[in-house]
Amino acid sequence: MPNRIITIAKQTFKAAFNNKATLALTLLLGLSLCLATYVGWQNYKTQNNQRLHYKELVRAQWLAKPDKHPHRMAHYGYLAFREKHELSFFDFGIESFAGVSIFLEAHKQNTVNFSEAGFSNGMLRFGEISVAMVLQLLVPLLIFFMGYNSISAERESGTLKILLCQNVSWKQLLWGKTLGIIGVCLSIFLPLILLTILLWASLSHWQISADSSLRLLVLIFSYAVYFFIVAALTVLVSAFVRSSKAALITLLSCWIFFMVIMPRITQAVGVKIHPSPAKIEFADAIASDISKQGDSHNPDDPHYAAIKDSLLQMYGVDDVKKLPFNYGGYIMAEGEKITSKIYSNHQKTLNKTFEKQNEITTVAGFFNPYLALKHISMALTASDFNTFVDFQNQAEAYRYQLAQKMNKLQIEKISNIAPGENEKPLAISKKNWAEQPDFNYRFGKLHTVISNELLVLCALSFWLLTTIFLLQYATRWIKTIL
Amino acid sequence: MKQYIYQLEFKLFFRNSPAWIGIIVLLVTGFAGLYFGKTFIARQLAVIEKAAVLQKKNTLNNIDHFGKDIGLFFFHNKFSVVNTPDPWSAFANGQRDVNPYLISVTMLGLEGQLYDTDINNPVSLLMGNMDLSFVFIFLFPLVIIAFTYNLLSEQQESGVWSLLKSQTGKSFTIIRRKFSIRVVVIIGVAIVLFMVAKFYLNLPVDLTFLAVFALTILYLFFWFAVSFFFISLNKSSNFNASAMVAVWVLICIVIPASLNLFLTRKYPIPEALQNVINQREGYHEKWDMAKEVTMKPFFEHYPQLKKYPFPQEKTFSWFWYYAMQQMGDDQALESRLAIQHKLESRQHFTQTVALFFPPIQTQLGINKMAGSDLDNHLDFQHAVRKYHEQIRLHFYPNIFLNQGVNDTDIKNYKPEKYIRQQVPSVWVNLLSIMLFASILMVISIFNFRKANRF
Repeated sequence: MPNRIITIAKQTFKAAFNNKATLALTLLLGLSLCLATYVGWQNYKTQNNQRLHYKELVRAQWLAKPDKHPHRMAHYGYLAFREKHELSFFDFGIESFAGVSIFLEAHKQNTVNFSEAGFSNGMLRFGEISVAMVLQLLVPLLIFFMGYNSISAERESGTLKILLCQNVSWKQLLWGKTLGIIGVCLSIFLPLILLTILLWASLSHWQISADSSLRLLVLIFSYAVYFFIVAALTVLVSAFVRSSKAALITLLSCWIFFMVIMPRITQAVGVKIHPSPAKIEFADAIASDISKQGDSHNPDDPHYAAIKDSLLQMYGVDDVKKLPFNYGGYIMAEGEKITSKIYSNHQKTLNKTFEKQNEITTVAGFFNPYLALKHISMALTASDFNTFVDFQNQAEAYRYQLAQKMNKLQIEKISNIAPGENEKPLAISKKNWAEQPDFNYRFGKLHTVISNELLVLCALSFWLLTTIFLLQYATRWIKTIL
Repeated sequence: MKQYIYQLEFKLFFRNSPAWIGIIVLLVTGFAGLYFGKTFIARQLAVIEKAAVLQKKNTLNNIDHFGKDIGLFFFHNKFSVVNTPDPWSAFANGQRDVNPYLISVTMLGLEGQLYDTDINNPVSLLMGNMDLSFVFIFLFPLVIIAFTYNLLSEQQESGVWSLLKSQTGKSFTIIRRKFSIRVVVIIGVAIVLFMVAKFYLNLPVDLTFLAVFALTILYLFFWFAVSFFFISLNKSSNFNASAMVAVWVLICIVIPASLNLFLTRKYPIPEALQNVINQREGYHEKWDMAKEVTMKPFFEHYPQLKKYPFPQEKTFSWFWYYAMQQMGDDQALESRLAIQHKLESRQHFTQTVALFFPPIQTQLGINKMAGSDLDNHLDFQHAVRKYHEQIRLHFYPNIFLNQGVNDTDIKNYKPEKYIRQQVPSVWVNLLSIMLFASILMVISIFNFRKANRF
């Protein structure tokens, strides 16, 4: 029995390539895939090299700073750059819309700035061509053009009846056609996978990490599942609909609705239901929380006055200048602790809001396999929202550590008696700067990605099971003659 | 008689359900686009209103906290400049989601503050906004394709064509008639949407209205011309549908997306990162240098400030501090101009390629008219620069003379509004689209004649 399926699949595969239009389309798609791969790879290299170059420059400048007061260094701060994951050349995801560099300084949390979108003149709104975009948007279109008449043409020409009379079951027919179409897809997808592996290996300087390999494996598998779903749906539509023309129109309408309109609408609805604050509102909420907690700039502030009193009592002195450590540094460390905590809480709430906005699109994956795959693809290539948030968190953790390190140096090494207006400022040796490590972003591991994306993975599996079920059991509702 | 035939054709057209589905889809998505577009801009307007209240509140707070030290007060106090949305930006949101519409700056170095983004959800930015211009640019063409792809082929495939042809003799007239009905319906839907937009978005009926309307209608004509061209090839319905959708996918998605990638590759902007580094270094290194290194170029930049006494002997003075900040901006000048130059190259490249692709041309034209494009944002940034300079020069004397904050007019400051001075023109956009539509029409008519079928 499976032999028949294979025979039909082979037949479909051959017929597809005998059709000049399909052949032309397939070649065109293959070509644009190669182009997308090449340009994506080149883009990755230039942008990543740029960031690495400035990362080194920033480090060198940090180390070259002369002897000075540690608080000056805390304000001099550090510039962190968001590195790209080596798989991101495959899927750009939110790369162009998320900022690239963030300035890390004491007392102040900055935004991640300089996204490519900020320099774009509206062209970006049409999207960016990447391997993922071709595979997600254009390959389904190819599948539609190949498969819209897979059953309906047989019906229209009368061969369907003959086939069914020759002991071929509906089930075999549907499976055979689906597999045949997938065969065509794979014939362009497989060489591409090899190319991807090659490029990716060269991007990682031939030092392939186990995590990336696993990511790539899951990625390939997800795309294969997606193609299967699309091919099966195409064949099913062709079997159910009255004519080839109706099948083509239905499939094209679905393509437009699911891939062009729906993503925008779901996201717009998400933003509407869960509005996020503007920057000034966000900053204002933080400021009012901080003033509730205590204001380190205000000498009469009760919170800091209490600290001062307890310190004076503990060390048995009557003036902060007589304390055995730098009082200013101590207060600053306390202030940094309070403000960072408040800021982080607000940032967490904000990210929760963003996640809720995105959730509508995520859940829509159960209605739209394209959205499910898009999410998975971005997550696996580390060009998704979660990775961006993770970068923000790591940068903030680094900022806090840097500020507190400088405060500690001030507490321990700076005299407690401030110099007069005309005296030399206090300073410590530049040797201390090297103690501050460089900022390096660490990508999350595959298992965290998987656990984050459990919902969309479910959505894709749901689609896989649904289409298998339909291929197996839909036959009872299909009519041979309409 | 002629009128009667048209009535009949209208009836015939509206009798099939795809016609109604197409019209309803356009109206529903159009209204959705209007709703989401307006909500998006309404939110920005609300924030702008709030900014005025917050600026006042924060200034009073700052006077409370730092009022005794004027230099410290201006270290903290922020001044906002807002890019007030044009009513048309609800029609075409453009880049207003990516670029900040409210920039708050202190008197310190500007280059370190000017590029701060608003906080936004990158996934929303990726998916893009849903506004009415999206419906016009992406969805209208598809409905035009759906309405016209089988205009001739269906008659042929069902065998009605030879009958029709034998009865009238003027077969081209039949095609023209069927075609013009579809044009009238689509343009009618477009006009309805424009009317609703006019009242819902409070759009003034002026030259801008006329320009956007003309641009949109011309763009729709371009798509009619495309479909007319495919009809003139006299191929099957399936071929027509596939080919026209392929054209749509190519010029609405694939080509712009490829060009965009090419653009970022051809004109990368590492200068942006260089600029931050230059500004930071230009200011911070001055702490460890003789004051002369800062003050000499500062007084060269602002000779008029020389008259204020500079406290040379003091280790720290706000005079020196603000001059150091200025050095950050001055030393970033070169990289700043480099960014500007790169952006101009990008703009030039885009405008050139847009000449050949009506969807890009229309989108850019509408965004330009709506004041939601990159140029508008750059003009806004320029306005922020000017305002920042004005504020600095206004308050420097108070700081350098160490006067009290209460002696200044700081309490009267409200957020500065940037409103664009001149309405841009879209002649080039209009002409290039018209040219393409005309060329296609001429070729199609030529095809019809050559085949001598009519």
